[in-house]
Amino acid sequence: MTEVGRTYGARIALGLWLIVGVWLIGLVLAPLATLAGRSLSTVEPAVMTQTLEIDRLQDEIAAMRWDWERSVDAERRADLDRRVRMLTDRALRLAAETREPPTVWGLANYARLGGLHARVLLHTLGFALVVTFVTFGACYPIAHGLAFATRPRRAALLAAALVVPYALNQILRTHAWAEILATLGLAAPSRGGPAEADPRAVLVAMVHASVLFMVLPIWSALASLDRRLIEAARDLGASPLRIHARIVLPHAGRGIAIGAAATFVLAAGSHAVPRIMTGGQGGDWFALLVWRRVFEAADWNVGAAYATTLFLACLLAVFALMRLFGVRFADLVRRGGRHA
Amino acid sequence: MPERRRGLAGFVLNVWMSLFVLFLVAPLMVATLPAFDGSSGASAGGAKGFGLHAFSALFADDRLMTGLLHSGLVGLAVVVLSLPLGLAGALVLDRLAGRAAGLLFAALIVPILVPGIVVGLSTLIFWRELGVPGGLLLAVLAQTSAAAAYAMMLFLVRLESFDPELMEAALDLGASQSLAMRRVLLPHLGPTALAAAAVAFLLSVGDHDMTVSSIGSDWTLLTEIAARLRLDPTPAVDAIGVLFVAATLLVAGVWVALHHRTRPRPGGEADRTRHPTSRRGLTT
Repeated sequence: MTEVGRTYGARIALGLWLIVGVWLIGLVLAPLATLAGRSLSTVEPAVMTQTLEIDRLQDEIAAMRWDWERSVDAERRADLDRRVRMLTDRALRLAAETREPPTVWGLANYARLGGLHARVLLHTLGFALVVTFVTFGACYPIAHGLAFATRPRRAALLAAALVVPYALNQILRTHAWAEILATLGLAAPSRGGPAEADPRAVLVAMVHASVLFMVLPIWSALASLDRRLIEAARDLGASPLRIHARIVLPHAGRGIAIGAAATFVLAAGSHAVPRIMTGGQGGDWFALLVWRRVFEAADWNVGAAYATTLFLACLLAVFALMRLFGVRFADLVRRGGRHA
Repeated sequence: MPERRRGLAGFVLNVWMSLFVLFLVAPLMVATLPAFDGSSGASAGGAKGFGLHAFSALFADDRLMTGLLHSGLVGLAVVVLSLPLGLAGALVLDRLAGRAAGLLFAALIVPILVPGIVVGLSTLIFWRELGVPGGLLLAVLAQTSAAAAYAMMLFLVRLESFDPELMEAALDLGASQSLAMRRVLLPHLGPTALAAAAVAFLLSVGDHDMTVSSIGSDWTLLTEIAARLRLDPTPAVDAIGVLFVAATLLVAGVWVALHHRTRPRPGGEADRTRHPTSRRGLTT
């Protein structure tokens, strides 16, 4: 902290810390804390029935007033007056009792994550794992080819082919895939026609969406490999396969961890891709489930619990991958170890 | 190894790379077709032939045009907000060490480590409790939390190649700290600011999940396209696809052209100098 002040001067340092503080709290911590808080709270069911009862009483009062206006009999009017007053009293009493709806804290929302929904969660995470493995298998040779390219013109072309498709936005890209796969008879036609959920179609679109995020980190890691190590190993008589397993692959570890983490999160949390690729019918993806809880079932607390579950699952996967490959967050932006 | 990689392994790798490139560009080729042939199943009315009418339909479409305006405004707002945030974060983290730095860094990049729908939803829930309803403003805030993290990472990479002694030298020569910062440090970060602005803008314009879960009943071009493609695909939406691909290819052309100009020298080293994370020793 003092180091920041020493470098930039007290006034500037204060301003920088202020900006970072607003960012950290306003855009990251407070929203996530609110989400978590919401996920842990439920409105007591009794309140719901009381609200319904008040609605019912008010309906009844309105009906009696209607009767009153259409009645000429004085005795009947007096009777209606008396009953309206009574019902109004009861409604007001109920309203006074329920003005502060008691919030109950607990894991009730998470308990809803049983049976079918738990299966959907596991299916989504397992599917994301498959996407990660397939993407890695497809991309590793490419990253290797880029890093050790002998013909730079071809490397430039390949790099362009990697980056350019991402300029086309995700929605149109995914729809284009739906069209291609429908033509090949693999997926639901995206325009008209009955839709059928084919997980292979989702797989293709998800792999395509993550290619760049897998290739770039591995390429970057391999590009920093000291070629003399390979020469030395070869001079000592190691076979190409052995050189690869003992020198190249371990060096790519950092890139693999970052690429796999990015791919996993993209696949596990994607909302648009499964929706488009299954013609809006895919029920087996957790992000779609979160969406439906919040925006279609208007069940914000349960939706928050599901979103928090997805959040924790993704964060856990990222940390596990980082730990597995011995990568620290600082490595994302640094090669050297100034923050040892 | 590269010089001697010949024969079967090299052949297999070449075939794989060709297939891979085909896989990558396939959506680009397909996205342009429906607008012109006018035959895509649900494209309204069954009009056939070279569908230039699609483009006039696009410009006459109020919701799409408003969406375009919204996308531009939101994108600009995200750039304006995320650059100072990213810069401040990078300047602070660059001077921190140890566990605190790692924790702060991890916390600030959480929005890009979790699914977009979680970021959008948490933004929506938080601000709604403060009385701000879903809308363009919340979409800006959700996107900014991710864009600022990317901007910060870009600035941090650039700061790696900054020699702190230059600042000290400026101070020794009598410059005030703010002057040294303006004249020495910030100019060094200039090119990165441009790159970060581009990344933030593209992220904003191209984002769907964060936007759609925080924008309420408002819309951007992308959320509108997504909704229409699902429910009611019109020729106007097809025309958008063509325009997007045209813009994409234009950008790609410029990129490749620039690339050819700046490629330092042939050989395996080229990749290393080209990659941003290895740009070192450029301080002078």
